[in-house]
Amino acid sequence: MPVSWPARVTAASSGSREGAVLGELPPGSEASTVPPAASGDSDPCPTLKPGAKSNCIIVSARQRGNPILKFVRNIPWEFGEIVPDYVLGQSTCALFLSLRYHNLNPNYIHERLQLLGKTYAVQVLLVQVDVKDPHQALKELAKMCILADCTLILAWSPEEAGRYLETYKAYEQKPADLLKEKVDQDFLSIVTDCLTSVKSVNKTDALSLLSTFGVSHLLPIRVQTGPCHC
Amino acid sequence: VGPGPGSATAAGLSAPPVMAAPLEHENQVFLDLFHQDGLVICARGLGIDRILLRFLRLYCEPASLVLVLNTSPAEEEYFIDQLRSDGVVHLPRRVTNEITSNCRYEVYTQGGVLFATSRILVVDFLTDRIPSNLITGILVYKAHRIIESCQEAFILRLFRQKNKNGFIKAFTDNAIAFHTGFCHVERVMRNLFVRKLYLWPRFHIAVNSFLEKHKPEVVEIHVSMTPAMLTIQTSILDILNVCLRELKRYNPALEVEDLSLENAIGKPFDKTIRHYLDPLWHQLGAKTKSLVQDLKILRTLLQYLTQYDCVTFLNLVESLKATEKAFGQNSGWLFLDSSTSMFVNARARVYRISDDKISKKSKVSEKMDIKERKELKRELVLESNPKWEALREVLKEIESENKNSEDLGGPGQVLICASDDRTCAQLREYIIAGAEALLMRLYNKTFGKDERAGEEWIKDRKAVKSKGNARSDKGPQAKKAKVEASSKQNKIMKKQDLTLTQMMGKTEEENIEEEMEGYKELSSSEEISIEETKPEDFHLNLASDAYYGIFKTPLTIIHPLQGCSDPYALTRVLHEVEPRYVVLYDAELTFVRQLEIYKASKPGKPLRVYFLIYGGSTEEQRYLTVLRKEKEAFEKLIREKASMVIPEEREGRDETNLDLVRDSTSATVSTDTRKAGGQEQKSVQQTIIVDMREFRSELPSLIHRRGIDIEPVTLEVGDYILTPDICIERKSISDLIGSLNNGRLYSQCISMSRYYKRPILLIEFDPSKSFSLTSRGSLHQEISSNDITSKLTLLTLHFPRLRILWCPSPHATAELFEELKQNRSQPDAAIAMAITADSEIVPESDKYNPGSKDFLLKIPGVNAKNCHVLMNHIKSISELVTLSQDKLSEILGNAVNAKQLYDFIHKSYAEAISQGKTKR
Repeated sequence: MPVSWPARVTAASSGSREGAVLGELPPGSEASTVPPAASGDSDPCPTLKPGAKSNCIIVSARQRGNPILKFVRNIPWEFGEIVPDYVLGQSTCALFLSLRYHNLNPNYIHERLQLLGKTYAVQVLLVQVDVKDPHQALKELAKMCILADCTLILAWSPEEAGRYLETYKAYEQKPADLLKEKVDQDFLSIVTDCLTSVKSVNKTDALSLLSTFGVSHLLPIRVQTGPCHC
Repeated sequence: VGPGPGSATAAGLSAPPVMAAPLEHENQVFLDLFHQDGLVICARGLGIDRILLRFLRLYCEPASLVLVLNTSPAEEEYFIDQLRSDGVVHLPRRVTNEITSNCRYEVYTQGGVLFATSRILVVDFLTDRIPSNLITGILVYKAHRIIESCQEAFILRLFRQKNKNGFIKAFTDNAIAFHTGFCHVERVMRNLFVRKLYLWPRFHIAVNSFLEKHKPEVVEIHVSMTPAMLTIQTSILDILNVCLRELKRYNPALEVEDLSLENAIGKPFDKTIRHYLDPLWHQLGAKTKSLVQDLKILRTLLQYLTQYDCVTFLNLVESLKATEKAFGQNSGWLFLDSSTSMFVNARARVYRISDDKISKKSKVSEKMDIKERKELKRELVLESNPKWEALREVLKEIESENKNSEDLGGPGQVLICASDDRTCAQLREYIIAGAEALLMRLYNKTFGKDERAGEEWIKDRKAVKSKGNARSDKGPQAKKAKVEASSKQNKIMKKQDLTLTQMMGKTEEENIEEEMEGYKELSSSEEISIEETKPEDFHLNLASDAYYGIFKTPLTIIHPLQGCSDPYALTRVLHEVEPRYVVLYDAELTFVRQLEIYKASKPGKPLRVYFLIYGGSTEEQRYLTVLRKEKEAFEKLIREKASMVIPEEREGRDETNLDLVRDSTSATVSTDTRKAGGQEQKSVQQTIIVDMREFRSELPSLIHRRGIDIEPVTLEVGDYILTPDICIERKSISDLIGSLNNGRLYSQCISMSRYYKRPILLIEFDPSKSFSLTSRGSLHQEISSNDITSKLTLLTLHFPRLRILWCPSPHATAELFEELKQNRSQPDAAIAMAITADSEIVPESDKYNPGSKDFLLKIPGVNAKNCHVLMNHIKSISELVTLSQDKLSEILGNAVNAKQLYDFIHKSYAEAISQGKTKR
């Protein structure tokens, strides 16, 4: 089974990896979801279908021993049989790739992407930049991501990679308000903001319009641009 | 410390009498360059601006069209002023964004000399708005900056492609810039398309012999530092050395040559070190980072030591110690022996602790409050700066000479130059009020009224405890005798205190004024009115407003060497004041040379230069290092010039210059070149549509270089359109952070995904900085919504079709763009430009009209969930207005939302205003 981080790392950590991973789990996480230490590669966990609702990150068994799991601390995670490496929500998944591994096995990610197809709305390719001169490889990956409809995310350390996984899961349902421009919550600001969303209206226009008409008189101006496919 | 100071002036300050405006060597520079295009590198201060000015004068006529690149607005103003005073009719004009694109063609065809913003020129060359065939030539100022990827190099390339006859002449006075890097000068010449290199160092035979004839009278005064200053300097140098050694130990890869102590005291050291460390900054340990910080602090200390007075220096030292206490940050140098000696001496320059504190104690505590007592225990020393004394001597000498100067035509004007504003202000106060008053004022300002003085004092006591103990041993017997003496002393001290407070009142007034006027011309406060007449008269109508006037007759002013908003301020002042005496309180190479030239251009006028320098100080060393560096740089350039092989076609006047061939195969030195022979000729010309605003970055130039055509247009959506499907928004790291925070990126992504099938966010890193989004160890324990990574995550979750490109440099971006375009069709500029809210949207993105949806979403009560329901129920927004509140709540399924929506629509403006008022 191919793993997407350097073989060296896996070998080194294989002895104590379960312990290490367990030790990092937040105390509140469900005990049942933690794979027993004795479990080998055959995972006895309940099979989770991709897309099933869960408040955990579902981790593919092939990611076992990946150091980034140590840094997934704020969100519970569990192993499951899934096609991608991580399922981060109903429509979000991620593949993990270490550039060091990629340089040794350039075909690996190709195969994984092909296998994945286009099953999820957001498919993240999480790349850990752990080589000295990543530019050529990154260029190839960038092109690949455009062809395969993947979102390319770069992390420079296992901490950062782990944080991305956490954040994707934590923000699964989060509205985009955080990204939007902040509008004062008084009437005038809202109306101005509203009116200026029409291309030809600027802030001064909006105010002078308002002082002449009430909102109810203003809105019909937009008759022509009203919903077209209602 | 290096060669003797005698050589300092020999190389920097030796020159001249005779001849009017154009100097001999300048004539030669001018003629050489006029006859054949080339790059002139001339020594600093030797008048590169004067040479450019001569060319400008030559081309200031409607028959020629000459563009000047790389000048700053202040420089342009200076040149235009000079030409105006020369009586030139057709003055140079500036082409900035204030001239609309339609008018620009007209401006260009009117001819003359034009200073143009590079961004505008690039666009005009690309769109053929500028008549390239009519251009007489291009003058490039500060040519050392023309690296391959810069805008100006792009302009020159476009110019040469379209115009084979025009000239390109380049000027610079920064030889040191060519000292770094491999074949730097050759690469710059290649970018400039010039074959000739003209070198004019100060030691050039023509320059040297000419300036020798016009030597000003030079008086070098070697001031010796006080023992305390010397000890401090030695200590700081010791510590610097230790830090440098540590730095090398932690980073063996750093080039040892650049990290010498001699370089470390020089000005550009900070830049050098950042240049080495920036690309790997995110990998550096905390130790290295703090060492770099310490080096900076130590260099500041060194500078303060010779530049300012003892109180300012002590204040800096104490504040260092205080921050160390407060934050515990330091890499250990504060615990070195040398640093202790520095602290002790820094204090010793300001005050001494009186011996008899024990004996005083009893008496004092009864009579006075504690604070005063503490104050008393410090016996002020307030060491004056040796240079100040020297300056006073010099001024005295000038004064006495001016008294019997009838044969010279009256008293001569005096110009004093010091490095910065602060020094100038201090000198002025010193000359007018005297050293004691100045130091007292500073002392009171920094330590006097400060409550911290008490704590400071306690610390002090600890530091001198050992001394104190030693003395107190012999105390008992001496005690009685001293009691009386001390009481007397107390009285004296009291008096002093009194005068202090009185003075404080006055000086404070002064302070406020000083600050208000931004440390400029200080209107006379009562006590300064010694020899001054009214301050109004004293506004000299000088070109510079940075000077400090002292006496009106003979005119004596102080001018800073650096930090003026107008880089030519000092030059202007020099020519307007025409001083007979110049006192250089601080040495600066450029100005020293400028004085030589000034003297040479005014033959027969006497000029005496006083050169004040601390013998054996880092200040002197710094000056000598600069001299030596420039000399070495020129020597290297001369060697390089001798061995330089310049291809015949360099100037690009025919079709053989490969730099002008825009083909990806020649631009990329990759495997492609080998295949070139068998490669099929591409039939379609590749095109990328680029937004106007993007021409500030170097990316368009690099794309063009790869053989892709660029169409500059104003885009409402996106920055680069690669194919009809691919739209790219480029963000540098700071842009990315900014636009994620202010919501701009979100709306940009909305519109990109609306109108393009493949919206792409390009994150472009600065190649000189580290290739990393977050620095090591900056990750919080918890997920924080303020982190840039969190926002990026949220963005990708909300825009599943948005792709992200991470590019380590603009070069990499250009390469990636070319590959992304392969086998895809070309974009259409007309379509891209027309994309606004009204154009057709990508089918799958939305089945509703996006404009109306945006509009509805902004109304209170409508959210992402109920928006579609609402839009399904109403035909247009006008219908929305007619609905009743009940109907609305039926549609929305939520009475609260419905009420919000209804109230919002039916609230009148008047209501809103009155509500707003009551709120306030």
